[in-house]
Amino acid sequence: MRRKFHGLKRLKIRQSWNKYNLYNLSRLRRQDVKTRTFFQQKWTAKATTRAYHGEQIREKQWQRMFRPRLASVVPMDHRYLAHFDGSEQALGRGSGLDVDHSASGDTARKVQKTPYMTMVYAPMERRLDTAIFRALFASSARQARQFVVHGFVRVNGKKMIYPGYMLNPGDMFQVEPERVLYATGAPKTRSQRRSGRKKAKKTPPASEITSNEKSTDEDLDMSALSLSEPIATATPPPSENPITALLARARATISSVDQLTLTAKQKQAFRSLKKSAKTLYSQRENAPAFAVPALEAELSNFTALINPSTTSPTPTPVDSKTAKDTTAPGKTIQQANENPIDPSKPYGTPWRPRDYMSPFAFIPRYLEVNQNICAAVYLRHPVARPGLAEVPTPFHQESYQLAFNWYLRRGR
Amino acid sequence: MPPRINPTWIRSSPLAKRSSQCLSNARPFSGSPHHCTRLRRSMFRWLRGPGENFRRPFPGSTNYLSGYDSQGQLWRSLENAPSRSLGEEASDPSEESNLDSEGNPRQSKAAPEDKADLRPFPINSGFISQPVLSEELREEIYDRVISGGKSVKIVSAELGIDMNRVGAVVRLKAIEKDWVKKNKPLAKPYSKAVLEMLPTTPLMTFPLRPKMHEPINDLPVHPATTQQIFEPTSESRSFTRIDASKAFDPELLPTDERIPHPELIELEKERLLGIPQEERIERQRERAKRESEKREAKDRRRKEIEEATLKRVLSAESGGNGGRWEWRFREISVQDAGKDGRAPGGVGWRYGIPHEDRKKGQVKIPTRV
Repeated sequence: MRRKFHGLKRLKIRQSWNKYNLYNLSRLRRQDVKTRTFFQQKWTAKATTRAYHGEQIREKQWQRMFRPRLASVVPMDHRYLAHFDGSEQALGRGSGLDVDHSASGDTARKVQKTPYMTMVYAPMERRLDTAIFRALFASSARQARQFVVHGFVRVNGKKMIYPGYMLNPGDMFQVEPERVLYATGAPKTRSQRRSGRKKAKKTPPASEITSNEKSTDEDLDMSALSLSEPIATATPPPSENPITALLARARATISSVDQLTLTAKQKQAFRSLKKSAKTLYSQRENAPAFAVPALEAELSNFTALINPSTTSPTPTPVDSKTAKDTTAPGKTIQQANENPIDPSKPYGTPWRPRDYMSPFAFIPRYLEVNQNICAAVYLRHPVARPGLAEVPTPFHQESYQLAFNWYLRRGR
Repeated sequence: MPPRINPTWIRSSPLAKRSSQCLSNARPFSGSPHHCTRLRRSMFRWLRGPGENFRRPFPGSTNYLSGYDSQGQLWRSLENAPSRSLGEEASDPSEESNLDSEGNPRQSKAAPEDKADLRPFPINSGFISQPVLSEELREEIYDRVISGGKSVKIVSAELGIDMNRVGAVVRLKAIEKDWVKKNKPLAKPYSKAVLEMLPTTPLMTFPLRPKMHEPINDLPVHPATTQQIFEPTSESRSFTRIDASKAFDPELLPTDERIPHPELIELEKERLLGIPQEERIERQRERAKRESEKREAKDRRRKEIEEATLKRVLSAESGGNGGRWEWRFREISVQDAGKDGRAPGGVGWRYGIPHEDRKKGQVKIPTRV
C-alpha cells in the first residue's frame, strides 16, 4: 500500500509540480550499482522508475503495454545524401582507408550515442492523462487523470472519459481552459477566499441568476449615469471646478459601495475616504492645496482596493478613468482585461502561475501545444535520436537499463 | 477562570523556536510539540535557501534545476563574470540570494542558457527541454499555409519545422481564430506565462535566415536494419545505399526515399550539376505539379471505386425530378464475418453469437476517435 505520495524518507519522484517533489529531485542521486546484487539493482530500478512513470497504473497493465522494441530516428542531411551514394563507406574497408568526411567538405560528423534505454516507458507517454500533464495543462498526472474522468477533456472534439486512452499520432486533445487556469494558477489568498465567500453568500439561488446578471448590468449602467448626474446637477460648468467634480466622483463611489461586502481593510479605506471627502466639502471655498490631490489619491486607492470586476458594485468607468489618470498607457488596461480580477473564479485572480511551476515547465517534441485554447496535438510517438531521448525521464540512464532488463523477462 | 498563557512566553521558548522552523503558520499560542523531523526541517531550509529561486519563474528565461549550483547560484551568471577571483566568489552567494528574492535584478545578470542549463532533471543528461514555437512563428506558419497557399511540405522545408508540426499548428491556429470570432475567451495570461518559462524558437524576419526549429529529415530506424548481417560482395562492386537496403530487407526502400523530404536531395543534386537557379526552380515546380497530379488521380480513382460499389436509390416523388430521400446500398459478403462469426470485417449482429462486451477482461476504451 502506498503510504505517502510525496515522502521525504523514501525518495520517490512523481509526475507533479509539488515542492516536495522538487526538493526530492534536487537531492536525487545515481543508483548504487557497486555493492548490490544484480537482482537488487533491477528491483530498485524498477521500483523507483515505476513510481514516476504511470504510478496510477497497475503493474500488470504496464507489463501488457511494455514493448521491447524502442523507437528511434537518425536525422539525415540531404546535402550528404546528394553528395554520396553510400558506396564511399565500403571503400577500402580493411585496407587501411578510414572514412573521413571532414576532408571531403562535410563537417566532421561525431556520432553521438542514442540513449535507447531511457525510452523504456515510451508507451506510457501515449496515455491521455500523461499527455495532458506533459502539455502543462495539469499540475500532476493524477490531476490530469481527474480532469479526464470528470469530463473536461475532448479528443478530436469528442468527450473522452478514459484516462487510459492511447493517443494515436494526429490526435488532438483539448482541456477546458478554466480547468487549466485552475490547475496551473496560484491558489487564492486568504482575503480573496473570504471575499469570494461573502459574494457567494450574497448571491441568490440559481433560478434567479440569469435575471440577476441582467440587473447587475443595468446597475452598472445606472451607476455610470449617477456618476455623470451629480456633475450635471452641481455647479453649472463641472469641468471648470475640479473640487466639485472630484467630490461628485467621490460621492458616486461612496453611494455605490455596499458596506456589508467589504473586508476590514476595505472598510477602513472607505471610512477614511468618506471623512476626507466630508472635510473637503466643508472647506470647498478655501481648501488647502494638498487636499485635492490627497482625496484623489485616496479615491483611486479605494477603487483599486475593492474589486473592479463586473459583479462588484464599483462602476467600471471609474476604474478605467483612474487607470488612465495614473498609468496612462492602454497596454496595462488591455492586460487587465485579459487577466481580470474575478472573485468567482476558483483560482487567485489576476491569474499568475503557481509556485514552483517553472522548474517543471517543458514540453516534449512529440506534442504541439497551443496554450491559448489549451489544446495540443499528439504528433507522433516519442523517439530517441543521437544524444537525446524524447521521453521525459528524471533518473539516470543506468536505472532505465536495469528496469528494461527487469521487464524484458517479465513483460511479454 | 483558568490561568491564561501569555503568547510571548511561548514564542521565546526553545520549543516554539524549533517548531516554527518547519511550520510557519503554526498557532503561536499552541504549546504542544510539533513533530518536525530532520528531513522536513532540511527541506524547508532548502526551500528558503537555494529552492527560493524556483518559487517564481525566472523573468524572460528558463528556470531549471540544472541551471543552478547547490548553493542556488545561477551558472549562467557565474560564467558571465569570469573576472571574479576566488575570494569574491566565496562572499557572493548571500549577495546573489538577496538579488534573487527580488526577482527583477536577476534578469540583467543572466546569459543565454546552453544545453546544460536546459536539463530539467539534473542527473539525466539524455533529456533536455527543447524549444517550442513562439507565438509569432505560429502565426507566420498559419499565414504561409492559409493566406499564402503554400503547401505544408514547402513551409516545412523553409522554416525547418517537421511537416506534422506544421499541420498541427495550422489546425490549432484555425481553432484559435474561430474562438476569437465567437468571442470565446482565450487563456492569454496562461499562454504568456508558459511561453516565457520555455525556450522558444523565434521568428526571423526577412534579412535574417530562419532559425531551424528541428531536424526535418528524420529517418526512422527500421527493425530490419538493427541487426548486423554478413553480405559478401565483390570488391570491385560499388555497394550503395540502395544495395544496403536490399541486403537488409528486399522490401525495404533506400534511405533517399524513406526520409520526409526527398525533393531536397534532388534539388541539391541539380545544384551540384551546376544547373542555373531559375531552371532548378522551374524543375522543382514541375516535379511538385506532377506529384500533386498523381495524388489527385489516386484520390479520384479511390472515389470512383467507392461510387461503383455504392448503389443509390432515390425515393419517387410526385412532382420534381429528384426524390426527397436517398438510400445508399453497399454489397456485403456474409463470408466477411469469418468462420467463428467474430472477424472484424463482419457486419451487423449475428444470430446465436452473444456480445462479448460484458465478459471479463474486455477492454472498452476506444482505440481511436
